[in-house]
Amino acid sequence: MTPRNIENYHRVQPGEFAARCAGIFHAGGKLRMMFAADERETDGRMNIYAVFSSIADHGSFDIITTAVEDEGGFRYQSITPRVPAAHWYEREMACMFGIVPEGHPDLRPLVLHGMYPEGVFPLRRDITAADVRSKVDLAKDDAYPYKTVEGEGVFEIPVGPVHAGIIEPGHFRFSAVGESIYFLDPRLFYTHKGVEKLFEQVGFERGIQIAERISGTSSFCHSTAYCLAVENMRGVEIPIRAKAVRTFLVELERLYNHIGDIGNLCAGTGFAAGYAGGAELKERLMALNHRLTGSRYLRGVNRLGGVSRDVLEDVESISAELSVVTDEFKAVMKFIMSSISHMERLEGPGFLSREAAVKLGATGIAARASGVNDDLRTAHPNLFYDRIIFEVHTRNRGDVLARMMLRADEAACSLAMLRSILRKAKPQKKELMAADAQQDARPADIGGGRQALGWVEGARGSIFYFVKAAADGKSPLRVKVRSASFCNWPLLPLAVLNDIVPDFPLINKSFNLSYSGCDM
Amino acid sequence: MFGKIFCNIIKSKRVLNERELEYKNPEEAAGGLVRREIIPASFRGSVRIRQVDAGSCNACEWECIALANPIYDVQRFGVDFVASPRHADIILVTGPVSWSMARALEKSWLAAAEPKIVIACGDCAADGGVFKGSYAVAGGADKIVPVAYKISGCPPSPADIIKGIRGALALLCGTHKGPEPK
Ligand code: SF4
Repeated sequence: MTPRNIENYHRVQPGEFAARCAGIFHAGGKLRMMFAADERETDGRMNIYAVFSSIADHGSFDIITTAVEDEGGFRYQSITPRVPAAHWYEREMACMFGIVPEGHPDLRPLVLHGMYPEGVFPLRRDITAADVRSKVDLAKDDAYPYKTVEGEGVFEIPVGPVHAGIIEPGHFRFSAVGESIYFLDPRLFYTHKGVEKLFEQVGFERGIQIAERISGTSSFCHSTAYCLAVENMRGVEIPIRAKAVRTFLVELERLYNHIGDIGNLCAGTGFAAGYAGGAELKERLMALNHRLTGSRYLRGVNRLGGVSRDVLEDVESISAELSVVTDEFKAVMKFIMSSISHMERLEGPGFLSREAAVKLGATGIAARASGVNDDLRTAHPNLFYDRIIFEVHTRNRGDVLARMMLRADEAACSLAMLRSILRKAKPQKKELMAADAQQDARPADIGGGRQALGWVEGARGSIFYFVKAAADGKSPLRVKVRSASFCNWPLLPLAVLNDIVPDFPLINKSFNLSYSGCDM
Repeated sequence: MFGKIFCNIIKSKRVLNERELEYKNPEEAAGGLVRREIIPASFRGSVRIRQVDAGSCNACEWECIALANPIYDVQRFGVDFVASPRHADIILVTGPVSWSMARALEKSWLAAAEPKIVIACGDCAADGGVFKGSYAVAGGADKIVPVAYKISGCPPSPADIIKGIRGALALLCGTHKGPEPK
């Protein structure tokens, strides 16, 4: 199974693009990501790509690509009216490449705020970082046209970007009637750091450090997806032991996130003792992370071609720690679920329908708690996942409670997986930890201009990377990052409708979306 | 002879800490500091921090949140995180300062009452960290607000942050000059 057979690229005429995408989407093909790449320096074209999970051929991707014509500005027919899941991707392309999707229902600028210069599109290859920097004007007012609701008794509650607690920045504009939320218009991208351009600036090797810092608590999944993309592109097969280590750490990351999130939900209902239980157990896992990798956020392990060292050597002590975690996790869940006042608050708010989840392309917990059976670990198994037998958990209620219970199911499943990996992957003497990815980095071999996808099902949902090498093969022409949160943020305004404003923090916590991962 | 025994005791204690108490012993977690060592007398035993995320990856925030969990529990030392900059003695900045957060950071700083200081927490806030050179960041909190003290690390551990807060307060009260060498 080489990656080349998994990714099927189909080039279509600009006029056919929308129909082709809509055809796949309506037949049930999931839109995994959509992006543009400025390839005018190599093939003279500005291309857009839409990546779908193939319907006919399970486990593979159909990537529909077309060139956008420059007719005094790049324009093409928007696919959002027929493929709603594409709405943010198209807005993103408009901001970053100046490619206008005609017929898109909402063309307000998504990523770049008011201080950025108009008409300067950072991801175009002929624009340098310095070009953008020199034109940023902090004094300029940010006149973002929020959607407002008018009528008797409707009032607006603006919140953020600096919030009351220690959380990431974002602005939420509520239109409320009494206590009920009538409409929510979120504005994000306050933490936009120009990451995709930065990848092009720093080269493949240092890209790992950036991938690790796109979203703090998804450090390992992001760097794994990035490494997989580069390795796929170069045709490097990583050693089996490295696969085991990566899979182990991906699951460990899921575990500490899920347990932390379950604890945080207690903070959302003011259940201090439950919060403390979750926080203590999470801290225990952070300490384990540190012991295994030297980093509480599992940084510095991944490298191109594998991992930097074998972190699973000490099987016994890791197993012992995992059994303690298993017992404590059971106790914490029992305690949390014994609080009727807490559980009652979780039941009902934050409802996301299955239909909305499918149409808007929800991923991860948000999708599975609304009954969508979608998990990359079974849909597109890579790493060790084709060797581990497990069941994808789903819940159907679509509310805060469903998302909490699903996290508990998945945490238990991850614990079982961790133990099974430890059992199966007894370390041999001096096993190879990394293939020599460098060897394949010679431009002659990689034939510049190669491209590939990398993906991982992280704690928040699917993470995708697309990497394409420049003509010399030495640096990336394009790195596209699609984090889980980018797909799920647009769901939040739907999930809070008709709930009360005081429940918003709780609902927000139940999705636990990353701002930095989305804003990049 | 006495010296040797003393060493042994310290050693065995260390092993215990790493194996079992690493995440449990609050005093150890805070680098063995006690309250009067962290907060200078002139603050009367209490400082309040407004944390401002200026484009961080969120790992720095999680370490700040961990400070308030039952293991590190910084409230014991009289250190607490507050919602409003008006209540804050310290503005603790994380992240390389994305352009979109620059004004919000400045406003938070201006809203805090004197005496006040800014701590740059993490490599990003110190000088842009891995995001240095990006078109979208100022590249360090000191480009926007006057930074008095920098805590290095990516992210700095909760214990590093407590030590950093101590260092910053000491600096503010003139009891020592400049950041401690790492
Ligand atoms: S210093 Fe490191 S951990 Fe902190 S915000 Fe920056 S990248 Fe994240």
